Amino acid sequence: MTDDIKICVRNLYKIFGDDPQGALEKVRGGMSKADLQAETGHVLGLNNINVDMPAGKTTVIMGLSGSGKSTLIRHLNRLIDPTSGEVIMNGENILDYNERRLREMRKHEMSMVFQKFALLPHRTVLENAGLSWEIEGKNRKKYAAEATKWLNRVGLEGQGEQYPAQLSGGMQQRVGIARALTSNSDVMLMDEAFSALDPLIRTDMQDLLIELQAELHKTVIFITHDLDEALKLADHLVILKDGFIVQQGEPQHILLNPNDPYIEAFVSDINRARVLRVRSVMEKTDVMPSDIAGEVDYDDTLESIIAVSEGDTTNNYRVMREGKQVGVLHMRDLVRALVPRHPGEAA
Amino acid sequence: MATYDNFFDTLGLRGWCGDSSGGGLSSMADLMGQAGGDADTTVWDTPFPSLDALHDSCDAIPQSRDLTQGLEQGFLAIKDSLKVVVDPLTQPLSWALEDTLWLMQTVPWFIMIPMLMLITYAVGRSMKLVGLVALVFGFLAFIDFYEHTMQTLAIIFVCAFICVLLGVPIGIAMSRSDRVQRSMIPILDMLQTLPPFVYLIPLIFLFSVTEPKLYGIAIILYAIVPVVRLTDLGIRLVDQDVIEAADAFGMTNRQKLFKVQIPLALPNIMAGVNQTIMMSLAMVVIASLVSAPGLGVLVLRGIRSLELGVGLLSGLGIVLLAIILDRVTKAALARINASQK
Repeated sequence: MTDDIKICVRNLYKIFGDDPQGALEKVRGGMSKADLQAETGHVLGLNNINVDMPAGKTTVIMGLSGSGKSTLIRHLNRLIDPTSGEVIMNGENILDYNERRLREMRKHEMSMVFQKFALLPHRTVLENAGLSWEIEGKNRKKYAAEATKWLNRVGLEGQGEQYPAQLSGGMQQRVGIARALTSNSDVMLMDEAFSALDPLIRTDMQDLLIELQAELHKTVIFITHDLDEALKLADHLVILKDGFIVQQGEPQHILLNPNDPYIEAFVSDINRARVLRVRSVMEKTDVMPSDIAGEVDYDDTLESIIAVSEGDTTNNYRVMREGKQVGVLHMRDLVRALVPRHPGEAA
Repeated sequence: MATYDNFFDTLGLRGWCGDSSGGGLSSMADLMGQAGGDADTTVWDTPFPSLDALHDSCDAIPQSRDLTQGLEQGFLAIKDSLKVVVDPLTQPLSWALEDTLWLMQTVPWFIMIPMLMLITYAVGRSMKLVGLVALVFGFLAFIDFYEHTMQTLAIIFVCAFICVLLGVPIGIAMSRSDRVQRSMIPILDMLQTLPPFVYLIPLIFLFSVTEPKLYGIAIILYAIVPVVRLTDLGIRLVDQDVIEAADAFGMTNRQKLFKVQIPLALPNIMAGVNQTIMMSLAMVVIASLVSAPGLGVLVLRGIRSLELGVGLLSGLGIVLLAIILDRVTKAALARINASQK
């Protein structure tokens, strides 16, 4: 399961303007976003995007505002149609879908959570959660059990009869997540789902999502502008800038090997100890070293190791994964990994 | 010698004009000219080259009264064919007005007033409002205006209902297409600014004064504008994020309209209905000129035979009616707003 690709984006371009096809030729010919805008007045939204989104994992698309991340996620369920390219899900190009098939997909295969919640203000929480069933034409009696189950799961026991406006922002977004879960779709698109929430509640919601993921293994596509959030949630991280992908891969890898000054600048002011994990900095060996200070888990964060070591940088630890030794962690390597490389320095 | 003689002479159009200057006197200006003799005209007296002024110099050019007469002839010419189309289309309006008028006058007061109070309660859920309604109708019945009040109310009910029936779909069509909106807005502007009396003139030609639809159409044309405008506005103002969510969960356009757009636009639509009812009440008075029954007839009697007391009392009656209609629809609006907050 681990390496199955659920959604596959191929050579995706999106150009906003009067004559996108004409502009597309110029972009393919190598014209930059700024030149295109100055010369033709067309805005290059997405420039040759290729992403494989693994099934059952969380893919985070990160970028600053204007980087095209919200445009990209809207291509996955075709709220926006591309100028050129393919979006393949389960072996089918969704751009070939007709309107009826597209609606089927939106109802059953892909659900979405929005930054501003976008709940229906005139419906109760329960009716909002059961939206996709109602669109199917099923009445409240039919979906009540399913909707209540998911409302309870996201921590909204007994709130079914409230109206969205009576809930706090965090609770409203829980309804938004319950609405997406109730549709029982494999894929969940989350467009800056937690950006409008205050930091404490945002952390709660991130934990909720991680918890749900551990249990449900949905294919989550998560959009954010917050690197901490991206690193916390991502199995696969895609960094967008000005409509093209700067780097993508495993978050730990990107953090340790940024390939672009843009990303170096991004990662330089992050709490690396909280994000990096033992597996990324350990020495891979099954030889048991002589001076072992203790055993640590493969997936522990460096922050927790520092706490265990009480600041002693001479210790070595045995790294365990499912009861077997997979490597050795030298505290000196750990400390070295915490020093960010500064933009411009050689890799 | 008219001012623009030289103009036609130099252009060599004298032959086309037909040289008959000084023929029959046809305008007031000619008469005046005759009476005063050929006074010295200076440059300051040069008239604007209007139809009448040009006609003085050239008979081939029509006078302005020919224009208005032409319009009239034209209207009369198409009147019969227009009637063939419009008459059957609007006949249900006549029936609806006749039946509602009959119903509201036949039901005795001791059933009618409690029923109106009941409707008020159902719409507004406020005992204070019910009390106000009872008080107003009690007062109007006490001063023997009961019959006229019921007639006015019947006309308003029918006309406002038809306004909503036609206006909401038109508003929806406008909200969905910019082209429809662009073409409707000038028509709505015209309906709103045209003096209400002007509607009546062509309608009198089309229908006989004894037909209720004559005033029905006049009221509907005048009062339909707010409900159309506010439906359009209300639907356009629905939060785009919510519309996007509806799309993302696979709603069809029809589902979006009935499950999202109309419910969320309802406060605005109700504000439009409130305005429509107020405007039909205003028009019902003017429509009494063309045989609309009700309080307007009393106002008219007050003016025609200078019965100050009757005029004042019936005017007060209309104000009272306006107040309760406004309060009741606003109470309904407030309830919708409260449920959507």
